[in-house]
Amino acid sequence: MKAIYTSLLTLLTLAGWAQTHISGKVTDTKGISIPGANVYLKGTYDGASSDVDGQFSFTSDEKGKQTLVVQAIGYKSSEENVDLEGSNLVVKSTLQETINLLKAVTITAGAMEAGDEKKSVVLKPIDILTTSGAMGDITGAFQTLPGTATVGNDGRLFVRGGDASETSIYMDGLQVGNAFGTSASNVPTRTRFSPNLFKGSFFSTGGYSAEFGQALSSTLALNSLDMPLRNQGDISVLSVGGGYTHTLVGKQNALTASANYVNLAPYQRIVKQNFDWEKAPENWDTEIALKQKWGKAGFVKAYFHTEGNNMVIWQKVPGQEGRGRRVGINNQYSYGNVSFRQAGKHDWFFSGGLAYSYNRDKINLDDLPVRQLNQVVHGKMVVIKDFSPQFSLKNGLEYFGKTYSEALPDEGKQRNMADHQFNHFVETSYYFNNNLVAVAGLRTGYSMLAKQIWVTPRFSVAYKMNEGQVSLAAGKFKQLPEEKLRILDNNLKNAGSDHYILNYFFANNNRTFRAESFYKIYDNLITYTGATSAPQNIGQLGSGYARGFDFFYRDRQTVKKTDFWVTYSFVDSRRRFANYETRVQPSFAPKHNGSLVVKHFIGKLKSQLGSSWSWNSGYTYTNPNEPGEMQSKTSMYSNLSLSWSYLPKPNVILHVACSNVLGRENVFGYQYASTPNESGAFVSQPVGQGAKRFAVVALFITLSKDKAANQLNNL
Amino acid sequence: MKKLFFLIVVFAFTFTTSFAQDSAYQKAMKKEIAKVISTDSLGSLQQSANAFARIAAINPKEWQPLYYGALAFTFQGFSPALNLDKKDEVLAKADELLKSAEAVSPGNSEIVALQGFVLMAKLSADAANRGQSLSGTIMATYGKALAIDGKNPRALAMLAQMELGMAQFFGNGPEKACGLAKQSQAIFDAQDEAVLIANMQPTWGKPMARSVNSKCK
Repeated sequence: MKAIYTSLLTLLTLAGWAQTHISGKVTDTKGISIPGANVYLKGTYDGASSDVDGQFSFTSDEKGKQTLVVQAIGYKSSEENVDLEGSNLVVKSTLQETINLLKAVTITAGAMEAGDEKKSVVLKPIDILTTSGAMGDITGAFQTLPGTATVGNDGRLFVRGGDASETSIYMDGLQVGNAFGTSASNVPTRTRFSPNLFKGSFFSTGGYSAEFGQALSSTLALNSLDMPLRNQGDISVLSVGGGYTHTLVGKQNALTASANYVNLAPYQRIVKQNFDWEKAPENWDTEIALKQKWGKAGFVKAYFHTEGNNMVIWQKVPGQEGRGRRVGINNQYSYGNVSFRQAGKHDWFFSGGLAYSYNRDKINLDDLPVRQLNQVVHGKMVVIKDFSPQFSLKNGLEYFGKTYSEALPDEGKQRNMADHQFNHFVETSYYFNNNLVAVAGLRTGYSMLAKQIWVTPRFSVAYKMNEGQVSLAAGKFKQLPEEKLRILDNNLKNAGSDHYILNYFFANNNRTFRAESFYKIYDNLITYTGATSAPQNIGQLGSGYARGFDFFYRDRQTVKKTDFWVTYSFVDSRRRFANYETRVQPSFAPKHNGSLVVKHFIGKLKSQLGSSWSWNSGYTYTNPNEPGEMQSKTSMYSNLSLSWSYLPKPNVILHVACSNVLGRENVFGYQYASTPNESGAFVSQPVGQGAKRFAVVALFITLSKDKAANQLNNL
Repeated sequence: MKKLFFLIVVFAFTFTTSFAQDSAYQKAMKKEIAKVISTDSLGSLQQSANAFARIAAINPKEWQPLYYGALAFTFQGFSPALNLDKKDEVLAKADELLKSAEAVSPGNSEIVALQGFVLMAKLSADAANRGQSLSGTIMATYGKALAIDGKNPRALAMLAQMELGMAQFFGNGPEKACGLAKQSQAIFDAQDEAVLIANMQPTWGKPMARSVNSKCK
């Protein structure tokens, strides 16, 4: 009995010592071996890594049914049941690729992204600030990108033959009403928001997502910073003003408050101006930004901005003696938004918010006071569900409330309009693999005032090749006319545009190349007779097209310590709109456009030198002394700007910038007398620049415990 | 009395069982920790990363397997043999592991310091594009690690390295970097490495302090 027991024990022990040798090969679905894969028995320490040929082998003391796990970065893990019997076991494992957003293809048609980490970006957030000539204006930097035209007497964004109202601007997904300051005609304006607020931006020159609507040409989506890094105070002293920003950072929340004041009067007393200012532009603004973390992945942000502007200018009237017409503008503007984002369980994502903007203009045209009040409310709720790494579905609901009123207080006249718009959008994206993605979207809208329902489909696809990637985008876009026209005719419907865009994008080793061609068709554009200030017979008989191509090349490698980009855009646009009777080339769509931006760092001087040059082939205008309309063209536009940033200490920056250093007399068009003179000719005067050059000196000081912190972002 | 006896028994029991259970874990960990800090080879770093993943899978309540797994991926992220895409891929993996580690052991200075090291690897992968945006975040991350434990020699050494880079960029003296590096070196020299190794506590980072120190005086 004892003997049997002993032998049984020996047998058991022996069996216990009989190891299983597990070996095999890990490959992908194409049969290419995967090195570095982790192969192991679930719940044990037994396992190994595959070698360069995908081969692995290890031994295990485990017995019976076990689960063999195979994992590798970039692939779906596999689990398979194996039976360990103490002999050799050979396993062949095939892993499927997963979609990896870090290296997967992205849709670049129409899109130009400014961000820090993604690879499809053309700009860094800092570029918006360090591009000389931009003068700290967000749109100033975008005007050096392909697809845009510099319209020096306006200052807003003009994209591919579209006028400025065809671009809509968003902050954290919510619309910004009246994003540009109010200005007199032919006096350029700026965006109201400091570039320091944003961590990145997404600028689309067409073919954009179903998430955005009511823009015929372009959208600019700005994303605000999440959490600031540290407590700090930022002082800025400019030759034209100054400001202070204070930042407080807690564990879960942060507060930034700032106040700025700018007055051009002292500067204009020293430097000769072409414009006849009675009161130089003066501006104050204050803003507060709050950030609150919400759970592990969520965020709530609130932002409030309020500002006031004043200016009085005399504008000469062609054919008349004297100072001309006196235009006084007092603008009061407030914008606030609250937004959130949160990730739920099972790959659900939620975001949304509420925004409100208020813009009030008191304008005095000679002795005639005019009051204008514009308010926009935007509410938005978006739900995204990732059904798998390949397939994601986005659904959103939006509400826009828009009111506008105009009054002539002296005559006791007032008129109002109010519109409520409801939108729904749905967008699906599907990754066939890491190299091919397709996105399809549908945006539906309804306007109560226009009594119109519209449905606009969008589609895009991108394919990544060995070198670079190709993408294609197409879609329909709708936009209701500007409020100042809708107030005259409440029945005005949407104008429409169709976009077709083909894009090639290549980025490698600090070199980026982008080529794009586009075709855009317009219909139902607003038409009227008479002057723009008093339109009559308003209708929507206009139509037209814009087509062309553009190139962008950026290089940080070829020339040492130098970063440059160069762009060229060709736009062929003709459209009938406004008070034109035929299809004309719009004044804001020069045919040939180019820019060159260079930044060079000189370590010894602790300085960055910047220069930017923009150029176009000239603006069209109507010369009433000749038959036809928009038959004439100004000479070319050219502007070379230089800047110098000096960092004597890590927390102090001295910045000097000058636009149009060559002093070129750029002309944006001509104004003509409304009646001919005695000899039968219409007298003209050029629409030119406010001054030959604009120069600014700025000193930025950052106060914080971290002495290395600075306001490099302010340059 | 009975109660006390019971307590002692329970304590002794849990102690021995946990000790017995831990020994396989400790053995596996110590073997891999020794490997990971002594190799530069991508292959063996990946092997270590895999080994730590296996250990982490059966010891989900320990932060060290996740931490050292992340370290193995971060070292790969510094390898000149990998292209940018590949570097970002392994560093994303390191980030993911550190997030899990943080959930297991919140407010851990070592985990935060390693997060800073991952960011440093991201920066050096594409310095021209990422330098401006990441350097501030990196300094702040080391600051966070030092706020939890002001004597974390790795956080001090890595911060010293960042400060040195900053000083060189601005053409300033290395005093601040040197102060930090000296502090770090002193802590490294004073610690009993054998005890740390026995407890699976991090010991790496000495050469970094030394390399900054070599630029001082």
